[in-house]
Amino acid sequence: MIHLRLSLLTLLGALFLTGCVGDLDVTPGDPNAFLAEDFYSSAESYRQGLAGVYANLSITGTSGPGSSNISGIDAGTSQYGRGLWNLQVLATDEAIWTWENDPGLAPLQRSTWGAGNVLLRGMYGRGMAQVAFANEYLRQTSDAKLDERGVSGSLREDIAVYRAEARFLRALAYYHMMDLFGKAAFITNADPVGAIQAPQAGRNQLFEYVEGELLDIMDELIAPRQNEYARVDQGAAMMLLAKLYLNADVWVGQDRYADCLDYCQQIIDAGYTLAPEYLNLFKADNNVNNATPEIIFPIVSDGIVTQNYGPTTLMINGQVGSQEANGEDFGVNSGGWGGALRVTRQFSEIFLNGNYGQDDRNTLITEERTIEVENIADQTTGYIITKWSNRTSDGSFGASREIVDTDFPMFRLADVYLMYAEAHLRSGAGSRSQAVGYFNALRQRANNPATITENELNLDLILDERLVELHWESHRRQDLVRYNRFTGNQYNWSWKGNAKGGIAIPEFRQVYPLPNESLAANPNLTQNEGY
Amino acid sequence: MCLLAMPTFLLSQNVRGVVIDAGTSEPLIGANVLVKGTSSGTITDIDGNYTVAASAGDTLVFSYTGYQTLERAVTSGMTTLDIQLPLSNFELTELVVIGYGSSAVKDVTGAVSTLSERDFNPGNIVTPENLLSGRVAGVSVSTGGAPGSGSAIRIRGGSSLSASNDPLIVINGLPISNNTIGGGRSILSTINPADIESFTVLKDASATAIYGSRASNGVIIITTKGGGSELNVKFNSQIGYNTLPNKIDIYSADQFRQLIQERRPDLADQLGDANTDWQEEIYRNTTFQNYNLALEGSLFDALPARLSVGLTNQPGIRLTSEFERRSASLNLSPTLLDGDLRISVNANATQERNRFASGQEGNAITWDPTQPVYDPNSPFGGFFEYWQDNGDGVLNASDLVGNAPGNPVAALLQRNDRSTVNRYFGNFKLDYTLPFLPELTASVNLGIDDASSEGRILVDEDSRVAQPNGEFVGSESEYTNDSRNVLFDGYLTYDKDINDRFRFDVTAGYSYQRFESESYTSGELRNDLPDSEPVFSQATDLVLLGLFGRANFSLDDKYLLTLSMRQDATSRFSEENRWGTFPAVAFAWRVREDLFPQSDIISNLKLRLGWGITGQQDIGVADIYLARYNQGLPSSQYAFGNQVIPIGVPQFRNEELKWEETATYNAGLDYGFWGNRLNGTLEFFYKESSDLLAFAAISDGSNFSNSGFQNIGNFTSQGLEFAVNYDIFERRNSKFGWNVNFNATVIRTRIEELALGQDVRFGGIAGGVGNNIQLHRVGFAPGKFFVYKQVYNEDNEPIEGAYVDLNGDNIINDSDRYLYRNNRPEVTLGFLSNFSYGNLDLSFNLRASIGNYNYNNVNSARAQYDLLQNINVLSNLPTAVEESNFNTTATVLLSDYYMENASFLRMDNITVGYTFPGVFNTGAGLRLSAGVQNAFVITNYSGLDPEIFSGIDNTIYPRARVFLLGADVNF
Repeated sequence: MIHLRLSLLTLLGALFLTGCVGDLDVTPGDPNAFLAEDFYSSAESYRQGLAGVYANLSITGTSGPGSSNISGIDAGTSQYGRGLWNLQVLATDEAIWTWENDPGLAPLQRSTWGAGNVLLRGMYGRGMAQVAFANEYLRQTSDAKLDERGVSGSLREDIAVYRAEARFLRALAYYHMMDLFGKAAFITNADPVGAIQAPQAGRNQLFEYVEGELLDIMDELIAPRQNEYARVDQGAAMMLLAKLYLNADVWVGQDRYADCLDYCQQIIDAGYTLAPEYLNLFKADNNVNNATPEIIFPIVSDGIVTQNYGPTTLMINGQVGSQEANGEDFGVNSGGWGGALRVTRQFSEIFLNGNYGQDDRNTLITEERTIEVENIADQTTGYIITKWSNRTSDGSFGASREIVDTDFPMFRLADVYLMYAEAHLRSGAGSRSQAVGYFNALRQRANNPATITENELNLDLILDERLVELHWESHRRQDLVRYNRFTGNQYNWSWKGNAKGGIAIPEFRQVYPLPNESLAANPNLTQNEGY
Repeated sequence: MCLLAMPTFLLSQNVRGVVIDAGTSEPLIGANVLVKGTSSGTITDIDGNYTVAASAGDTLVFSYTGYQTLERAVTSGMTTLDIQLPLSNFELTELVVIGYGSSAVKDVTGAVSTLSERDFNPGNIVTPENLLSGRVAGVSVSTGGAPGSGSAIRIRGGSSLSASNDPLIVINGLPISNNTIGGGRSILSTINPADIESFTVLKDASATAIYGSRASNGVIIITTKGGGSELNVKFNSQIGYNTLPNKIDIYSADQFRQLIQERRPDLADQLGDANTDWQEEIYRNTTFQNYNLALEGSLFDALPARLSVGLTNQPGIRLTSEFERRSASLNLSPTLLDGDLRISVNANATQERNRFASGQEGNAITWDPTQPVYDPNSPFGGFFEYWQDNGDGVLNASDLVGNAPGNPVAALLQRNDRSTVNRYFGNFKLDYTLPFLPELTASVNLGIDDASSEGRILVDEDSRVAQPNGEFVGSESEYTNDSRNVLFDGYLTYDKDINDRFRFDVTAGYSYQRFESESYTSGELRNDLPDSEPVFSQATDLVLLGLFGRANFSLDDKYLLTLSMRQDATSRFSEENRWGTFPAVAFAWRVREDLFPQSDIISNLKLRLGWGITGQQDIGVADIYLARYNQGLPSSQYAFGNQVIPIGVPQFRNEELKWEETATYNAGLDYGFWGNRLNGTLEFFYKESSDLLAFAAISDGSNFSNSGFQNIGNFTSQGLEFAVNYDIFERRNSKFGWNVNFNATVIRTRIEELALGQDVRFGGIAGGVGNNIQLHRVGFAPGKFFVYKQVYNEDNEPIEGAYVDLNGDNIINDSDRYLYRNNRPEVTLGFLSNFSYGNLDLSFNLRASIGNYNYNNVNSARAQYDLLQNINVLSNLPTAVEESNFNTTATVLLSDYYMENASFLRMDNITVGYTFPGVFNTGAGLRLSAGVQNAFVITNYSGLDPEIFSGIDNTIYPRARVFLLGADVNF
């Protein structure tokens, strides 16, 4: 009897136990969460996965603008384009940020940044996350995986194009890492996901890799201007190669200006056209208005469906003057962000040097303001600009009053025109008359009557023209470094080197330091000299 | 044979004497006097006298129920032996609930503290954990000021960095979830403190290891009241008056006018005509009510039962804040089959109703005191707001003054954020002693805890809160949350006495628990935008399985050994990493019974040594090891051309994730003197937590974030606990009684190893977007503040923006910040004193915390002269700005100037009561009481309240000072 009862108990216990152990294998409960295999079970999912890789340029997380998949920094500030903007624009003469109690920004505009700076952590993290997302997409769309899932036919062809675009986005991220940090951890889709400590790649290795990738995918990408807006096409790949070659001397000591000019020509011949009105490039409908044919590659933003605190939201809200309260002119709340952005004296002086008195690109507001930024905390010192807007080309407001609909044009044709001119002067390739023609085309487009002659074209003029044409589009630091004016004494601006008039900063500051946390997490990385 | 018999016969003598109560000197009637080892003996007579035949060398054993047993040797020629029996350490034979069973206090081998009703804190107790605040060494309870607010409970400082530091709370055998349901105030706010019979706190691993994977932070076992044999009706009522004890020092309206004239005369035209004290305006005094009715007894004389109903209504002192709890609790504990089958059924149902008031303290401190609260010309419900008609004929967001703050009183009164939480929890327990094998008991415990909440947030149409398109239509949204957990425990206990010297009991069992939760939110109902669509989400289930066993051995009732083992599995980790083994060993030596059994002075002396390994796996998320993709919400999509596409983004994953393990060594000494009149414990513990679940940076690019949960970290913690309880005067001897209870805890923690040596930053502060003020760094205590070192001039005034260049590179940046102090105290103390004189009783309890530092973020983000101008409007400042004379927030925000010593001594409660015995001629008792809750705080901290658990003071919901009156009737 006893034995029977005891064994019955044991049996029940064992049955119960084994039945319940299976419960330990849970599946994600959230209807928005999928196991990777389940996610890729439909045809649409390959497009959605690709959109996820693109989205990292614009969105910081999957649950709205306040969410982020990068830690150690405020979500909005961790946005890709914004990080790029802070590191390429704020650290130069193009802008001054008022709210220095936000971490990391004061050292950037005062040239005192160190390896503990959160903005550097955000940009390095976001850039490497782009690499990780692209790698994952490539893993999930490998031939083996597609065969396993039985994908064939036209979808397979589409996926081949998607893969090329993902490779471009990875190359773009490594290009940014190379420019900003001079090195990065090198990881491809051949590596597994986990916590692997990838080897370090310096500028030489990254240059070779990015160049190789771009050349390799060129034929797989869709022809320029034939792809959906915001997707990568051959035009974007050619642009990135042109940028690579333009800076090759600084980055890897190679004179590739002729190659740069070659690709500039290809882009110019590809069918892009200048926007008839300069300011339409920076309006809420710049994805569909008459400026769109000039844009080669944008970062998308939308006040409703692509919410982010990226560069366009930053610039439009930041532009609003504290005493002018002109937010409504730009389609945002009248107070904006309380006068967050102003420009330095040197920036204003370029616009006021006589060449740009009548020019659409000169949007300075100078009344009741001092030209010098006497005090960073005082928003009435320094001029402000009105380049960007959340209103459409016909004057209507964007969908929301803070997060804007204006896309960020990362690459556009005007840049190519000036690159052509610069590459010509530096290499002698191409034709001078063409270079001058492109230069003047930009002046004419801006309704500026002062065109130049062939003799007047020189490198310094091109540098100033680049500021006038492309200011606040995340190019300035790269340009100043190429011209050897970022560090050293050749060119100083307000608050450079933490001095009001600006002083020289040491040469090691031509690249940013790798963040402390990244060095600690990957001992293969070594810090840049001087930090 | 004759030889053996002879000595007894020859040396037998009559020993006589009197047995009295050692305390009162009253004779004990019917006390047992036995000759040890024989069956001969006698009992004392009506005068306490006895006569017994014994021989020299025999031992006489004197015992009486309720008194300690004494033994005395009979010497040659002894004829008289008077005995004074001290009161029994009945506490030692009391049963204490421990994990999966109970134990007599004398047999406990681990660091276990028990609190029963007589030890609870008196006063205005809304949530149960306040009953033991300051009462148990090593346990700190820090409660917020909001009504029904939750508390941060820490046992021995907790054992984790990024994983939860909350202890496991078990109610009648059912472990509850540590996540507060959305819309609820806290996990314990739905439990009526009047239903609690006792708390058992398990502090060291040897006691907690049986709970395995959730036990690293200690365990608090709550046992609710059950029925009794006689009918007993209790009615408790309490009313109280909540008042605001103090405010932050800011400028009054006239002082502000003067300040503007002196410093910013250019802004004088923005001054208003009113005199408003905004802090007064957002607070109010309220009345608190608490009623409880309990019926205890035996139904049909055979079924012990208890039914209680309670109502607590606690409006908060912040305007519009409300909390109400209605609870009902039923306990049935029948015994069937001749005592072989014991059933216990606990069923509880509570409803909590809340109105949440948003934090307007920061707003109230900085609002211009020269502006009025109300403005009859205002289109915003009669409240003054900063607005300016822009003349376009439409009232919308364009008419608001840019970047101006909203009226704090309006923000509270125009918002109606209400929720109702319904919670049902209970358990059904069966203990069956097998009739053919009485040493074996089979137990089954089934438990369920189901909470569901619904809430609605409504903002008035005439408030200044605008929709994204700028319209003023108010705001409306709804939400529901459901969460539940179910438990099955089954175990067998075998209890055996061998030859009266050796006892052992063995328990072996299985536990299964499952947690589920879902939530729904409607999104903004007053606009049609795609990003305000309803969202339904469901958390990944959590399943916990365990196999456990424990064996207790006792030799001669002097040497005790406990061995326990738990094999635990969680669904949180991958299959390879989900099983953990948690052993524990404890040894106790009842020194007094062994070395001083006859001592009158020492009534209890017990040495305990314990070691165990416990686990921790509560990191909030439940599926990190799975390869997951998240789909973006409607506001997080990307557009190709004109097609908006939902995106899929891979999530950080870690298949290697596993338990944290904490190994604890504990040495304790329990002592008691003079019949336990003076008793207490002294404990020393050392904990080492390894494989800490740290949210730390990971090699960039290798995963889908730059940080995530990993097991990299190692942390040690050691401490000393001292507790003493002294009956200075015992009630039984005189009309005057005085009992004091004191405990002290000292804890030191240190991070030994952390994620490849990197720092982990946390501790967000106000005064900028994204600043952190705290740091975990290897070699230091966790959570130290990371600040700049302020430079002072010869007059000891701080020089704005001047900091010590600690790394000597002539640049002041992040590398010049250093680690300073900690938000954790070095020493915590608790003191309770209980006087009684006749029917009058007076008690008070104090708590002190020494060595904790706060970062005064109220001042660091607000006390600077530049802030007088808040872009387009005027802004008030804390008067503390006069001490620093600082101008710019950005320059001074991270300075150690704002670090303050927040050590404090707090008088939690003073209560006076009078008991009227036998009122209404029915043998009923009535007790009236009056008291003050949060009577005073002594501290050097300049802010509002030094007791801030996180150490970052960025305004808090103030803790009210409550004046109470209570009436308790007992039939």
